[in-house]
Amino acid sequence: MLSVQDLSLSFGGIKALQGVSFTATPGEITAIIGPNGAGKTSLFNAISGFYRPDRGKVIFDGQDITSLRPDKRAALGIARTFQNIALFRGMSVLDNIKLGAHTRLNTGVFGALRYFGAAQSEELALRADLEARVIEFLEIDHIRKAPITALPYGLQKRVELGRALAMQPRLLMLDEPVAGMNREETEDMARFILDVQEEFGTTILLVEHDMHLVMDICAHVVVLNFGEQIASGPPEEVRRNDAVIEAYLGAAA
Amino acid sequence: MITGNLKTSYRADEQVLNNRWKRGFVLAAIAGLAAIPLFGNNYIVLIACQMGIMLIAVTGVNVVIGYTGLMSLGHAAFVAIGAYATVIFHNAAGGVIPESLLTLVAIPFAVVVSALAGIIVGLPSLRVKGLYLAVATLSANFIVIFLIEEQLFAPWTGGMNGINTPTANLLGWELSTRRELFWLIAVLAVLALLAAQNLFRTRVGRAFIAIRDRDYSAEILGISLYRYKLMSFAISAAYCGLAGALFAYFYARILPEQFDLHLSLMLVAAIIVGGMGRTMGAVYGVIIIVMVPEVIKVVFGALAGGGAELAMIRAPIQEIAFGALIVGFLLFEPFGINQIIDRALRALNRWPFARG
Amino acid sequence: MGQFLQFTINGLMSGAIYALIAVGLVSVFKATRVVNFAHGYLIMFGAYFYFTFAVLVPQMPFAPEWLQSWRPEWMLAMRADLPMFSPMAAVLDWMANLPRILLGLAGALVCNALLGLLIERALMRPLMGQSVFAMIMLTVGLISILSGAAQLIWTSDAEFVPALAPNTPIRFEMFGANIFLFGADLANMAIALLIFLGIVAMVRYTKSGVAIRATAEDQSTAYSMGISVPTVFSRAWVLASTTGAIAGAILATRNGISPALGLFGFSVLAIVLMGGLDSYLGVFIAAMAVGVLEALTQWKLGGEWAGIVPYVAVLIVILIRPHGLLGSKEIERI
Repeated sequence: MLSVQDLSLSFGGIKALQGVSFTATPGEITAIIGPNGAGKTSLFNAISGFYRPDRGKVIFDGQDITSLRPDKRAALGIARTFQNIALFRGMSVLDNIKLGAHTRLNTGVFGALRYFGAAQSEELALRADLEARVIEFLEIDHIRKAPITALPYGLQKRVELGRALAMQPRLLMLDEPVAGMNREETEDMARFILDVQEEFGTTILLVEHDMHLVMDICAHVVVLNFGEQIASGPPEEVRRNDAVIEAYLGAAA
Repeated sequence: MITGNLKTSYRADEQVLNNRWKRGFVLAAIAGLAAIPLFGNNYIVLIACQMGIMLIAVTGVNVVIGYTGLMSLGHAAFVAIGAYATVIFHNAAGGVIPESLLTLVAIPFAVVVSALAGIIVGLPSLRVKGLYLAVATLSANFIVIFLIEEQLFAPWTGGMNGINTPTANLLGWELSTRRELFWLIAVLAVLALLAAQNLFRTRVGRAFIAIRDRDYSAEILGISLYRYKLMSFAISAAYCGLAGALFAYFYARILPEQFDLHLSLMLVAAIIVGGMGRTMGAVYGVIIIVMVPEVIKVVFGALAGGGAELAMIRAPIQEIAFGALIVGFLLFEPFGINQIIDRALRALNRWPFARG
Repeated sequence: MGQFLQFTINGLMSGAIYALIAVGLVSVFKATRVVNFAHGYLIMFGAYFYFTFAVLVPQMPFAPEWLQSWRPEWMLAMRADLPMFSPMAAVLDWMANLPRILLGLAGALVCNALLGLLIERALMRPLMGQSVFAMIMLTVGLISILSGAAQLIWTSDAEFVPALAPNTPIRFEMFGANIFLFGADLANMAIALLIFLGIVAMVRYTKSGVAIRATAEDQSTAYSMGISVPTVFSRAWVLASTTGAIAGAILATRNGISPALGLFGFSVLAIVLMGGLDSYLGVFIAAMAVGVLEALTQWKLGGEWAGIVPYVAVLIVILIRPHGLLGSKEIERI
């Protein structure tokens, strides 16, 4: 599915990533954890194409995508959410979610200008599809017409997940999906993530600080510290790893 | 609480004119439009024609500034290209294509030429955003005017002195009066507006708005910034080119200075006043931008009674009023008149249960 | 070769004035992230203010005679002994104008500073913290307001304004070629360069300069560190309008005063983008380069082609180096 091989990235003198390698198992949830500034989001940005790595490869489905533009990667079936919600604030929930389906639609400029005909039937089919597969699934039917700015934080996170799901992705990357949420909201989100995995068989890659969530739902954990990969394996193994304990608690402890 | 919102199909829910007030408003507007050439006097027809031409151009500017969030201060260049392309096409193809078909070919030609020019001018938008683009388009405006005025091209463009324009001819129907031309302008303006509205009901238009709101997020959804920014530029330039073609048919003679920075600013002002990123914003904006100088003219006429002293200060006052409109709306109603009217229509629809 | 040198030197002289105008644009951008599209019209106001205080006010009935033309006994005596076109005579003529030149400059500086302050306080300040787009569009609206207002206030045709320095012709030889210059042009260049350097030094070394740079880096952090961001904004605008006043006075003496002066600002805008919005050095290089290119274009292709040089140049530079010659690329955090 997705494999990252010996990925290195630096900004000026700062080494954000140094030789990171791992593989996301198809249909499973893989977590990337590490203290603040460990390079987790940089890794995400390299995988989704915003940063060009200095060395190493990103392989998706056997294809080397290291130098592909972000939008091309999306077309291959990679979706992601952002740490600081990156919804389109000038639009309604529904339009945000519709945008997720962009690469699956075909209407061109001339069809769009005419609208009636092919474009209209495509739009109506899309609406029906999204209602069933995303809006009902994530239980956001009561807010579909609401402007993004009117929604509380937890719901915005859910809408962003919905937008990613509208892409029908094969790899879903979630950057801190439960950051800043209370226990109840966290449980809801965990349930949605598991539902996505079960129902659609999506491969999921997530960055998270909430260790309970990571240990509970992930099959595989990759640990980064100062850009270096210090451990990788099943949760049970990683939580007992000395290097991980040292990174989180400090050497003296 | 929204009353009477009982939809039974997604088709009904996706309608633009989703309540009877909006439908009534649009029907009344179209009826009003048809009444202009039938009952209006020459002055009203003149103003209406000017508004129609301007509306097409402003709708184009709205696509690029209002919806895609790319700042442009040079769209008058595309109006100029459209106008000159029409005239040059008529002069060049006059003998080859029969008179009755010439207009039907010249208008698409002008639109395509402008769209291509739009792609070229839009190229910097791929590498830089915001400011740089505003200056790049501004530069393009100066360069286009310069090239039109340049002696080298004077045989085709008429240079500084301008050039006489042809009369529109639709399959033998010669639109020699403004009243006749109004039909063409009005039909094209309504179609242009409709097409713009349609654009934003589909993936193409949504992609534009996504780029405006958060470009990296748009990219992650598979929207190619390169493609869509250029597309937005091309569409807006095509609209301006259409406006330019009509401009050429409308006036007996065109001059390069009619398309200078002042026109570009006027297009931007109209969209700020009307409401950026709203289809109807262009309509309201154009009405205000065309009417304000006229009102000032009438007021001055009444005050001065033809006095030269007062007439001298009319032009500067018009210019100030124009700037004050931009500044005033930015400070006090950044979403423009569209916002005010939306509020009113919403209140009407909910009446008597809720207000605001 | 001789022609080439002559036009290059002419180009450097106008380049220096471009740099002087550009410094105002860059300073406002650094402090506020706003590019002032109406900057050319501020310059035009500077020119009109200079005209008002150096020409109109001394002609008023209440103005003392020495303000109009200062000719003490000793000056008349000296003048009488000099031949017609001697350099000393030009200096004496300039000295006779000195009182009104100084009044003109002082008036232009004060009035333009007030104008800049007014714009910042009344129009830009309410939009602070909102989108930069709105603030930039507001300066676009200002173009029309300032241009209309200038036509309303100064209806009379612009007259000759006194040059800032003695306008003695200077001839010298350089690499075997005869070069011909006017003293006033040379002095204008010196003034422009000195002010440019002074402002760069101020931003680099003084406390208020550090405040400007901190604000440029991150407005809210600067605010929370105790820097009064609104004060920085006002200072930047005053800086821009006063340098604009001097540039306006210089341009008035060179090309006369007309509403077309406002258009000058757009060329400078192009230059600023070419150099890189936040780099004084880059902007300086771009200003000089455009000055020289314009002069050479004028020499080879004629005056009308010179007018579009900045616009063509900026388009080329932006396509090759999107952030200008030395501008810093903004790194976006995702």
